[in-house]
Amino acid sequence: MPSAIHSRASRLTARLRTLLPLALIVVLFVLACLAFFMINDRAPLSLFMQMVAGGFGDFYSLSESLVQAGPIMLTAMAVALPARLGLISVGGEGQMYAGAVLGTGVVLLGFDWPGFLLMPLMLLGGMLGGALYGLMPALLKTRLGINETIATLLLNYIALLLVSFLVHGPWRNPASLGWPATIEFPSGAVLPTLWASRMHVGLILAVCIAFAMHWLVTHSRWGLALHVLRSNPRAGATAGLSHTTNVVLVLCLGGLLAGLAGIAEASVIHGRLQAGIAGTYGLTGFLVAWLAGQHFLRIIPISVLMGGLLASADTLQLFAQLPAASAVILQATLFAIVLAVNAHWSKHQRRST
Amino acid sequence: MKNLKTLFLFTTLSMTALSDALADTRVGFVYVGPRTDFGYNYAQDQGRQYLDEHMDNVSTLYFENVPENAEVQRVMERMIRNGVDIIFPTSYGYLDPALDLARRYPDTTFVHSGGLKTADNLSTYFADIDQAMYLTGMTAGLMTETDRLGFIAAHPIPQVLRNINAFARGAQSVNPDVTTSVIWTAQWSNPTAESEAANTLIDNGADVLAGHVDSPINYTQTAEQRGVYAVGYHADASKFAPQGWLVGAEWNWGPMMVDIVTSIQDGTWEPTHLRGNLTTGATQLTEFGDNVPEEVRERVLQARDEIMAGDLHIWHGPVVDQTGNELYSDEMPMEAVESMDFLVQGVQGRLP
Amino acid sequence: MEMLWTELGIMFVIALRSASPLLAVVIGETLTQRAGVINLGVEGQMLLGALTGVAVTFHTASPVMGLLAGCMAGLSLSLLHAWLVLGFKANQIASGIAVLMLGSGISAFYGIPYVGQRIERFESLKTSWLADIPLLGPVVSPFSPTVLITVLLIPVAGVLLYRTRWGLRWRAAGESPEISRNLGENPRRYQLIAICLGGLLSGFGGAALSVDYTANWVEGMTNGQGLLAVGLVIVARWNPWLTLPAALLFGAAQAMNLRLQSWGVDISSYLLATLPYVLPLAVMALSYRSLRHTGGGMPEGLKAVFARSA
Repeated sequence: MPSAIHSRASRLTARLRTLLPLALIVVLFVLACLAFFMINDRAPLSLFMQMVAGGFGDFYSLSESLVQAGPIMLTAMAVALPARLGLISVGGEGQMYAGAVLGTGVVLLGFDWPGFLLMPLMLLGGMLGGALYGLMPALLKTRLGINETIATLLLNYIALLLVSFLVHGPWRNPASLGWPATIEFPSGAVLPTLWASRMHVGLILAVCIAFAMHWLVTHSRWGLALHVLRSNPRAGATAGLSHTTNVVLVLCLGGLLAGLAGIAEASVIHGRLQAGIAGTYGLTGFLVAWLAGQHFLRIIPISVLMGGLLASADTLQLFAQLPAASAVILQATLFAIVLAVNAHWSKHQRRST
Repeated sequence: MKNLKTLFLFTTLSMTALSDALADTRVGFVYVGPRTDFGYNYAQDQGRQYLDEHMDNVSTLYFENVPENAEVQRVMERMIRNGVDIIFPTSYGYLDPALDLARRYPDTTFVHSGGLKTADNLSTYFADIDQAMYLTGMTAGLMTETDRLGFIAAHPIPQVLRNINAFARGAQSVNPDVTTSVIWTAQWSNPTAESEAANTLIDNGADVLAGHVDSPINYTQTAEQRGVYAVGYHADASKFAPQGWLVGAEWNWGPMMVDIVTSIQDGTWEPTHLRGNLTTGATQLTEFGDNVPEEVRERVLQARDEIMAGDLHIWHGPVVDQTGNELYSDEMPMEAVESMDFLVQGVQGRLP
Repeated sequence: MEMLWTELGIMFVIALRSASPLLAVVIGETLTQRAGVINLGVEGQMLLGALTGVAVTFHTASPVMGLLAGCMAGLSLSLLHAWLVLGFKANQIASGIAVLMLGSGISAFYGIPYVGQRIERFESLKTSWLADIPLLGPVVSPFSPTVLITVLLIPVAGVLLYRTRWGLRWRAAGESPEISRNLGENPRRYQLIAICLGGLLSGFGGAALSVDYTANWVEGMTNGQGLLAVGLVIVARWNPWLTLPAALLFGAAQAMNLRLQSWGVDISSYLLATLPYVLPLAVMALSYRSLRHTGGGMPEGLKAVFARSA
């Protein structure tokens, strides 16, 4: 009898211990927001409540937050997957654009095809485009030893310029009278939206993929292979696992996911390809992946929260005339807090064990 | 009982007072960049401030730095849901999201800047600033000593091409040998690229710089630094080039905006394409710089008066493109002007 | 033949002029990475330095004060990175991104009143005593003061790193913390100084861009040059002496884009604009074979950062 109580208590404290850093992060972040508002001479508490309401207060705000959460989830997964192998990729933005480009190419080619044919082909095109743009840094790393962080960084800029080239030049819609964008996608290529909002099936896909990825990296043989290669490369090599092949796999698969986000944004949010469809999702996805500790299931709620933070930035401008940069400052502060708390906590854990 | 009655009276009175205050027409502006850029957004914001000052029952608010992507739809929708009655999306790329919202919110009026599509509750407004650019081109053509002019441009959209061509034609009308070189920066705002482009043009012999980017500050300052002339756009940036400033083409949105809002308020508004020009005052020439001699000023101002009187049409034929083809022998029709997609003879540089 | 030399000379001047802010950041980040720390936050530090430079110059009418203030701003922001990485042992890449975001956000936020403001510029060196120096005068006077300072930093950094005992310990901190400790040193001390120095130089680079080169402030005006600098450190193989050719490569590519347009070359300016980003990749690819065995010159301590990260 006493031993049962003891073990239950210790399980409880163990669970509390894992929740404690999370609670600390939340408290510190709220305090930071309040401090930020106070420094800028705004009523801190009411503005904070308005900010929260702006992200989640009513159906409209919630839907707008979820609209952002979808692509954020996918770009976060595009970072988390390579991270499983220890690779640091910041290429989400470039891969989004690459996917959007290839997917748009499919649409332009098959403009008159029926929807049941065009839609899946467009999505496949998007995924292929993103995968190819993940292949590039993978090859640069495995064949030429170029660091993937720098390679993905440079490739982001190149992808953006490629999109500009296309929408100003060969793919420019003549009817748009010079405005750099392609023609509007036919209805057969526009993903369906949900519940009279801008949310679309991309969000549902993203959530399903997150679950699938989680299962893949934790329960499948491939996931195990990745884990071995990461933690004990020599053992992996002895077991016949190829580091090179897996580098290519994770970067391509990650790129595929970001590419899907890219074509989805182009298709349903904008209805065509134009510069700027990736917004800030690349960096935000990176941020979310880190906040989630590269854990696929945690990416889901954190993406929603991040979407809420971004979407609620308008309320700061609307009600308090605080510039849009406020959202970036708050995001960065959140990031710094999470890094500090997590690092400190794991140091604490290591010391206590 | 008496207390309750007083309370009731007090509440209704204050509610009426509140609703009177709330009966202010709320007008929302969305800018693609900062409103202090001495450029396009600055000019739009000057219009907003004019509106604020000259109309009593109007309250304005603005959002700046809203990129031309999915964000703007959310920003505008939030404004609508917070009781904004009239929205001015001031950047071209906001048009389609605005049309989408116009469909869903028929009670809100949208007034888009520079667009070429309308809806039942969406009109557009713009000004033919190329008229003023023609005049700045004339000034440049008269002041240049090397017969080479430089133009720094962002993107090859019709509005930009109109300005380049008007500038070049204006210069050619007084100085047939003059050439205008164009360099594209590929971004509406990139100070480093603009300064570099300015330096490149000057290195190639240009002694007057003009431009169509978000802000004239960078190329104007570079021109001043290198001792050449500058012609401004969007706003009067002469303080950045006390020696080199010739003249500029600027917007004057305020009166136009007041007219639009008034017409919405008294029900006479129509969803049309409203276009101002030199005559209506929506666009104007800035002051001349100190170094512009009297004869030049007189000549340019005379041309301005001719344009305002309708005697001089800046797009009169022949209109010849870079390859020498005569595209229009008589006057170029307005629809063709608004969808311009070529550069005229005398302009060096290709469309990107 | 002489035409070719003149053209090359002009290209050199143009490339150096436009790439010198970037060069300052590359030098700083090289020193930082040599001590075994990577700081992606230099982009944010550069932006903050740029804004502070303009703001202070505006209020004090002194570009020199602006430059100094920019240095201080970059330094202050880098302290956050130092605190997270050295104090909390947080992941360096992630911390750098956090610093990057903070720098961009703060500079955008506080920069709004300074957009469109006119500030005092440095006086042209052509009229100063520098132009009168025989032989050297005409070579250096076309440049502005920050360019000259930046170029002078290269031999300073190079000599410091390779020829002094202090430099040896600095490099030891980056190559192997154990060796460093065996020598009786605390590698973290060098890493702290490295991060701060990187912060100071990136702040300087940003201020040079805003106060000297363009003489104004626009939100996000560095356009990713800070992040690019981190990549160019690799191209320069972590060697201060090679930072000049690496930065010039980038500057020349940017200048080529504009020159080619003015020569009427028939390639889209958007495609030409990719040149500055493709070239560093190409250089890294080409130098791979020769460096395959040495790992490209990356300090060992830095390799550990990438290995144990995520």
